[in-house]
Amino acid sequence: MSDIAMLAILVIPVVMAAVLVIFKKRLRHLAGWCAAGAALSTVAATFVLLVCLNRGQDPILAINWIPAENITLGLHCDWITFPFLLTETIVTLLAIVYAWGYHHADERTPVFYALLLLFGVGMSGTTLADDMVLFYTFWELMLIASAVLILVWGDTSADGPSPRVVVLKYFLVTHLGSLLVLVALLTIYNTVGTDSFSALRQGLQLPAEIIPVVTCFFLVGFGVKMAVFPLHIWLPDAHTVAPMPVTIMLAAAMLSMGTYGILRFPFSLFTRDQLIGFALPMMIVGVVSEIYGALMALAERDIKRVIAYSSVSQMGYILFGLGTLTHNGVAGATLHVIYHGIVKALLFMVTGIIVHSTGRRKLDDLGGLRHRLPVTTVCAAIGILAIAGTPPLCIFDSEWMIFSGGFGTGYLALAAVAIVGSLLTVVYALWFFGRLFFGEVPDGLETRESPRALPLAMLVPTVLLTVLTVVEGILPAPVFSWVEREVALLLGGL
Amino acid sequence: MSSGDLWVIVPLICLLAGAFSIYLIARLVTPRNEVLALLTTGIFAAALVALLELSRRSNQARRLGLPGLIWGNHSPNGAALQADAGAIVISTVAVALGLCVALYCGRYLALDHRYKVTYPLLLLLVAGLMGMVMATDLFGLYLSCELMSVTAYVLVAFRRHTDTAVEAGFKYLIMGSVGTLTLLMGMTLVYRETGSLALQQAIDTPGPWAMAGLACMLAGLGLKSAIVPGHTWLPDAHGRAPSSVSAMLSGIVIQSTFYAWLKVSLGLGYPAESLGTLLMLLSVLNMTVGNCLALVQTHTKRLLAYSTIAQMGYVMFAIGVGLRYDLPGAIQAGFFLMVAHAAMKGLAFLSKGICHFYLHTTLIDELRGTSQRLPLVAATFTLALASLAGIPPLAGFAGKWFILAQVLQTRDWATTAGLAVFLANTVLSLAYYLPLIATLFSSPDPAVDTTGVRISGWMAIPVVVLGLLVLAIGLWPGPWMEWTGHLITTVR
Repeated sequence: MSDIAMLAILVIPVVMAAVLVIFKKRLRHLAGWCAAGAALSTVAATFVLLVCLNRGQDPILAINWIPAENITLGLHCDWITFPFLLTETIVTLLAIVYAWGYHHADERTPVFYALLLLFGVGMSGTTLADDMVLFYTFWELMLIASAVLILVWGDTSADGPSPRVVVLKYFLVTHLGSLLVLVALLTIYNTVGTDSFSALRQGLQLPAEIIPVVTCFFLVGFGVKMAVFPLHIWLPDAHTVAPMPVTIMLAAAMLSMGTYGILRFPFSLFTRDQLIGFALPMMIVGVVSEIYGALMALAERDIKRVIAYSSVSQMGYILFGLGTLTHNGVAGATLHVIYHGIVKALLFMVTGIIVHSTGRRKLDDLGGLRHRLPVTTVCAAIGILAIAGTPPLCIFDSEWMIFSGGFGTGYLALAAVAIVGSLLTVVYALWFFGRLFFGEVPDGLETRESPRALPLAMLVPTVLLTVLTVVEGILPAPVFSWVEREVALLLGGL
Repeated sequence: MSSGDLWVIVPLICLLAGAFSIYLIARLVTPRNEVLALLTTGIFAAALVALLELSRRSNQARRLGLPGLIWGNHSPNGAALQADAGAIVISTVAVALGLCVALYCGRYLALDHRYKVTYPLLLLLVAGLMGMVMATDLFGLYLSCELMSVTAYVLVAFRRHTDTAVEAGFKYLIMGSVGTLTLLMGMTLVYRETGSLALQQAIDTPGPWAMAGLACMLAGLGLKSAIVPGHTWLPDAHGRAPSSVSAMLSGIVIQSTFYAWLKVSLGLGYPAESLGTLLMLLSVLNMTVGNCLALVQTHTKRLLAYSTIAQMGYVMFAIGVGLRYDLPGAIQAGFFLMVAHAAMKGLAFLSKGICHFYLHTTLIDELRGTSQRLPLVAATFTLALASLAGIPPLAGFAGKWFILAQVLQTRDWATTAGLAVFLANTVLSLAYYLPLIATLFSSPDPAVDTTGVRISGWMAIPVVVLGLLVLAIGLWPGPWMEWTGHLITTVR
């Protein structure tokens, strides 16, 4: 059962993507439904995996691909995989549903949905992969699918950079990160003699002098995907130019792949003592990233860029939590990945609704939207409060854990800076909200409810995520219990 | 005494006799282009079958402990052809690529009235190449290398009514002749000291003449393999030649001279370790120069030509590391990429040729909208470029994976520095492969006609076959790795 579920998560979307591309003429009007159906089945399969994991099963699949080189292909799902897999499949589903309303349908629409599905498969395949070849292949699929989406459907506004330039930057920078990861993986492969992660879990004996080098490559490589300062340079442009459903997937799900990589490799391969030298650098980069992202978000005038820089800031929290190397810090970081996924998807959906109904993206051209978009205003308010870390919304829980982890280390001053720095998040979040929904109405902006009705497909996922933000904040227990079991697998057991 | 296993020369005879008879047929009855293409394809197919049989027999002999089948004069100063495992692999790649190209020419050359001379030249090119990799003595190597080079000069200048082709052919001729003359001089110098022309001769304490001779031979063959700084002729020759010819030249011809380069230097006793160091240095130059210059190209084929220089740099890097640190796996990985490159670059040039044939495109910008007019070609071209860029799960990625995995086994500053350059170059190369792919799929000017064009089967079949090959090598690299492993016999 669990094997089938793992295969279903990968095979169903791929097959559906192929069908969409092959029959693109006939499926032109059904493409959105087909894609959502495939995405929904992956969500269902993810819950099947949850049941299996809860029963104590260890879903694993492996075939020997190149026996001579001892290279196998395998899939595996454990508690490190699960929180990420869940975030990815749900975000993919919501992004596809949102695209029904947001995406302007034309003859290429089926290809658009096919690529969204492949982007999702890239992410879930990366988390499910149990060997280096599959891991890297899916890792690159994720990059390629998103790059094509940005390139073809990217926003070609006159004042911004062209999608071609943005995609090239995005691809080159993240590919450089991927190559560093590949070097680290192959170093381990050479030492262990197999590319299977299962073999790594049974104990890895690396020469002591290589561990820092390998860890360094992993951290920098995955740091690029996480987009922490100063490796974030691809993010603001890519997030801004990408069509909104893609931005949602990039920000809410793909950024978390960097965290997954860090948890999957350095954190589960090495013990706390072996990584202790990296604690302070990670925490410092985390805090710098947190503050830098918040300041940049304050300075930006384009609403998509504000939210994009907010991601840099939030990834700083996560890296800080990981850097503490404590139980609470790492658990908080994982929780933050999930909650940030929910809230960031919500905020980008709100942004998308604003862009869709006003056709404007500059903060100076917007204001007083509360009359025009009442429901959206409520959703945005909850999202903004959540990202500012207000109790009892979900991000409060994870930030609590992260900061308590920070105070569990010897670097109290740094933890204090991180907490004080989080004030900046509050500043930009509230300022952003105030400018958009209150404040003066600029010239020419309609204040009454839009005659062009907001598509339900855009509103429903937004409201759903808002509800989830509140519910997760009040009832965090199930997610906490999953993350608890994940943390037990890390750093030789935290 | 002249004897040996006749099977060694059967493929060669196939090609040479085929070239002669095709030329005669073309002169006497002036058949249509398609007929000649089909005949040439048949000859290549026959040569391929003969090679497979030769390979089977050679494997049998190797199992009995023999070095490989030999035909010719066995005496120490005699000339012979030896079908060792490496030579068979290179010849098979060349003949298979030739087969694809011959079929492709069935339509590609339909509008050229000089099509008749192409087919014999194509066969002679492969025959020369085969002789060069099988030769056991310097003179045989020189002769076959000349046969290959001269046919290549003529093929580059094939469209002689265009100035660019003549210019490129002339430049290639001059540079190539300098290369062969330097090679010849090196051979005479070695002969002056040792009195022997054998390719495998242990020169225990090389005197000044032998050393100068070896240096000259390496420079000469290096020039022909377009090792930087001897690369300047390549972008002109490969960029101006008809695409079918470029596919051969970029796909296998310079690789085979590089193979000869290795064979000569190791055969004449150049220490493997210092040869490895030299190769690593040269490879860094090759990658960097190739990639940097490819970045600024506006002509599609020149871009592909510079990419060949860069890809050969990767191959040389792997082989260099393998020789320096005695890692057979790294050498094998290098050869794997070299063979995969033949398929990828052949595919790239043939796809480009189809665009040129139907849409008359030369510049990169003119390729806009190819995906609408020639969807199949856009797909195969993308496959080739993505594979060259090292995107999983294609052939080029498998090659880079093996190279990285092997190179990472060594840990010293020289390899680390080389590795950094290798990785930087891999990223740099994306900066021209990706925009080229994006151009294929971007929408053309509104004024341009966007109706789809039907591609002739003559051209579609080779690109589809090569495309599937690129995919297959990437998905199941195991057997290919094993097969290209035969090439290691040269360097051991």
